[in-house]
Amino acid sequence: MAAITIRGLSKSYAGADGPAAISDLTLDIADGQFVTLLGPSGCGKTTTLRLIAGFIAPDAGSIHADQRLVSSPERVVPPEERGMGMVFQNYAVWPHKTVYENIVFGLRLRKVKAQEARTRVESALSLVNLTGLENRLPSELSGGQQQRVALARSLVVEPSILLLDEPLSNLDAKLRERMRVELKELQRRTGITFVYVTHDQAEALALSDKIAVIHGGRLQQFGTPREVYNRPASRVVADFMGLVNLLPAAVVAADGHRTGVRIGPGWMLALDTDAAAAPGHAVEVAIRPENIRLRPLARAEGPHQPARIVEAAFLGNIVDYQVALDDNTVLRVQAHPLEELAVGDAVAVHVDPAHCTLFAASPPTGPAPGPDKQGADA
Amino acid sequence: MREADSGAGAVRTGPRRQRGRLRPPRLETWVMAAAVAALVVLVVLPLLFLLVGSVRGEGGLSFEHFTEALTGRLYLQALKNSLVLGAWTGLFSVLIGLPMAWAVSRTNVPCPGLFHITATLAYLSPPFLTAIAYVNLFSPNAGVINVLMRDVVGASWLTFDIFSMSGLVLVTALHTFPFVFLLASTALQSVDSSYEEAAQILGAGKLATALRVTLPLVAPAILAGTLLAFVNAIALFGSQAILGLPGRIVTLPTRIYALFDYPPQYGLASALSLVFILITVAALYLQHRFLAGRSYVTLAGKGARSQPVDLGWFRWVLLGFCAVVFLVAIVLPYGALIAVSLSKSWGLSFWQNLTLANYRFVLFEYNVTQRAILNSLMLATLAASIAVLLGTVIGWIDVRTRAPGRRLLDYAALVPLGLPGIVMAVALIQFWLTLPIALYGTLAILLLAYVGRYIPLGVRAANTSLRQVDPSLEESARVLGASWGRTLSEITLPLIRPGLFAGWLLVFVPVVQELSASILLFSSGSITLAVAVYNLYETGATEPVAALAMVNMAIIATALGLASWLASKGARARSPAAETVRTGATA
Repeated sequence: MAAITIRGLSKSYAGADGPAAISDLTLDIADGQFVTLLGPSGCGKTTTLRLIAGFIAPDAGSIHADQRLVSSPERVVPPEERGMGMVFQNYAVWPHKTVYENIVFGLRLRKVKAQEARTRVESALSLVNLTGLENRLPSELSGGQQQRVALARSLVVEPSILLLDEPLSNLDAKLRERMRVELKELQRRTGITFVYVTHDQAEALALSDKIAVIHGGRLQQFGTPREVYNRPASRVVADFMGLVNLLPAAVVAADGHRTGVRIGPGWMLALDTDAAAAPGHAVEVAIRPENIRLRPLARAEGPHQPARIVEAAFLGNIVDYQVALDDNTVLRVQAHPLEELAVGDAVAVHVDPAHCTLFAASPPTGPAPGPDKQGADA
Repeated sequence: MREADSGAGAVRTGPRRQRGRLRPPRLETWVMAAAVAALVVLVVLPLLFLLVGSVRGEGGLSFEHFTEALTGRLYLQALKNSLVLGAWTGLFSVLIGLPMAWAVSRTNVPCPGLFHITATLAYLSPPFLTAIAYVNLFSPNAGVINVLMRDVVGASWLTFDIFSMSGLVLVTALHTFPFVFLLASTALQSVDSSYEEAAQILGAGKLATALRVTLPLVAPAILAGTLLAFVNAIALFGSQAILGLPGRIVTLPTRIYALFDYPPQYGLASALSLVFILITVAALYLQHRFLAGRSYVTLAGKGARSQPVDLGWFRWVLLGFCAVVFLVAIVLPYGALIAVSLSKSWGLSFWQNLTLANYRFVLFEYNVTQRAILNSLMLATLAASIAVLLGTVIGWIDVRTRAPGRRLLDYAALVPLGLPGIVMAVALIQFWLTLPIALYGTLAILLLAYVGRYIPLGVRAANTSLRQVDPSLEESARVLGASWGRTLSEITLPLIRPGLFAGWLLVFVPVVQELSASILLFSSGSITLAVAVYNLYETGATEPVAALAMVNMAIIATALGLASWLASKGARARSPAAETVRTGATA
């Protein structure tokens, strides 16, 4: 098994001075971990994966796999000498070979004896639940089955590292969810280090031991799914990891452990975090829609803000509300459908400071928060 | 050579990826360096020597040859004749090819298969054979149709002199109209019907819609097809020698050929060749521009919906038109050749003197034709294999690497498209005569000429096929531990085999019947099929010529038959599989 150590990795396709596809990436992927490189398309995650695979050479920095230097600007161990596995977005199952021929290819290269090869192919097939399809051609398989063939082909040679480049994105939603579970199980059973590239944050959250959020060629945050979701390191991460309300606020007090902010007239929050800025400075308070609670104003208890429901969309498992505060700030709230509230209702907005994150205010050029965020995942 | 070395550095990096630096040369470095070197020897150096030869005078650099080529009466006349021939052929190619293309791609014309067969057969039949066939029918004195009209029907106004510009244009256009047909029908198929329907809703009739909406949309493709017809028409040595020379219509190829009569005027031939190249390259450049600039043609691919226009009774007119083309381009010439080949002596009393003696003569008795057949078969097989092999490596460099200079390589491989066969021969003579290797007059120089001339077809076939194979198919083999060579032989080549095979055939067929370059390069030992036909024709052996022509057609038919049989076999076994990962439309 193997760990991957990436130090100061940079790569630009437009020459060393051009815009970087990935710049100064440092990442420690522990042995046997399921690590996801997450980010929007064009963020550099696939470049990183191809650098790890050895298809491209870095402009700067290094990659060690299992303590062995495999990539540096001076020397790149070619992919065929790295002993890794890779699964591609389009499966890349060879259409002119049967399922068996596809899977046995790597074993033949390693001169495994025919008898042993057959046993290993069979066990790889059963690992991905494809037993009995050995003699099919890829054209006779569904997309999900083809992706399993690609998985089996990579796993049969027992790599210590498996690279997966958006392997589920060509599958339909239902199949994607099932394969997600299977992948996770597979990783747990085999103990192989998985490096997984995706732009789908739900996929990343569900699968990963750790997520590396990459944006604009730079690593934004590297942490467990909970850390990345609940404690985003930056506004960009908060925004990318799901729906978020970003409320402009001002710091009123800071003592190094707790920070007091004023969001609106008469709405103060005391957060258990270090101040992002000194008192008087503008900040943003991030809070996810599902962490805001709504109650009919009549039943309000404890600190709350009065507001009015301006939009309500019933989505089945949740209700998606837009509520307007007195100063016309609109908040997005996702609530359980048991609590029935109608447009026009006066409500109390409860925000627990423990669910809030503080960012230094940024110029309003970033992607708009809220409703349209889900679109980026499609 | 620098290209090759730095190119190899990029080998593993895949498409659209930056090159990575690499260690000492590997197999791929050598293979690619060899391919680049081959291209240089085949195309670049001969062209350079052509250029040098054209400006070398008695005392060093001199433009006397160009002055002569551009002012001499003989040469200006040849230039003019070539341009006139090309222009008329282009026009007639449109007149024949466009209605046929429109009929099959936009209308409910009956029996569209006939249109495709007509175009394919017309393209495949070598014009020098059609010319010989037409001489047997329409030579002023002895052509049977002329004799029939003059002496039997008594309508001498119905006779036709084939040894004229009109005769030459007729025979040439019958070979070149498929270029217009092919490009126009491809473009027409990609036009979405909604454009036409929008015009019809606004009140335009079918003819008005076709002329004012559809036609302008595909005009660039038509122009491109016309220019291709032009370029091909002026390069044909055989038909221009057979039909033009008796009527004293000398063109560029025949004039260049004449310059090799003793004493050969190499310098002048080189200068004239360069003028010839200039015309061809200019036309091809325009053709490229027209095709590239057709931004508004809706290349919607499979998405284009095509509702055939209902032509009513007019569809029978179009079918009749196609039938006439089929008759004139295929039935008449090949009927004539078959009839001549079976005659003791060609004339009106056909049924009284049937014989197989001509076939016996060319196949079993006359050692020149025997040698010619064997030479051509061998040369065509070798040339096609080498062209496809080189094409694959060059195509691979272009598609799969980011080697600097790979575009240049691609262009160099396409240059021969602008080289008329006879010009290729002049260039090779200029190059190899200066070297101490005695290649002139051997089979080897013919092979060099054929491979050099048809390398673009090999590159194009490989390029198209490679673009349809997603790079991840190769990359996944590399990750599993396969070397470059292993990946190529186990993954890439099997996947592009159908395309390569088609490319092989595309080279084989024209090489078997190549005349324009062979005519300057052959010797008695290295005589080829087409040269044997031409020489026999020159000596007046009409009947054996026809028999040999039929042997030629039998070889072509066998090759094509074998190919379609293999293709259908291959298609059943593997093709649907290949579709799953390939992107893009048809090969």
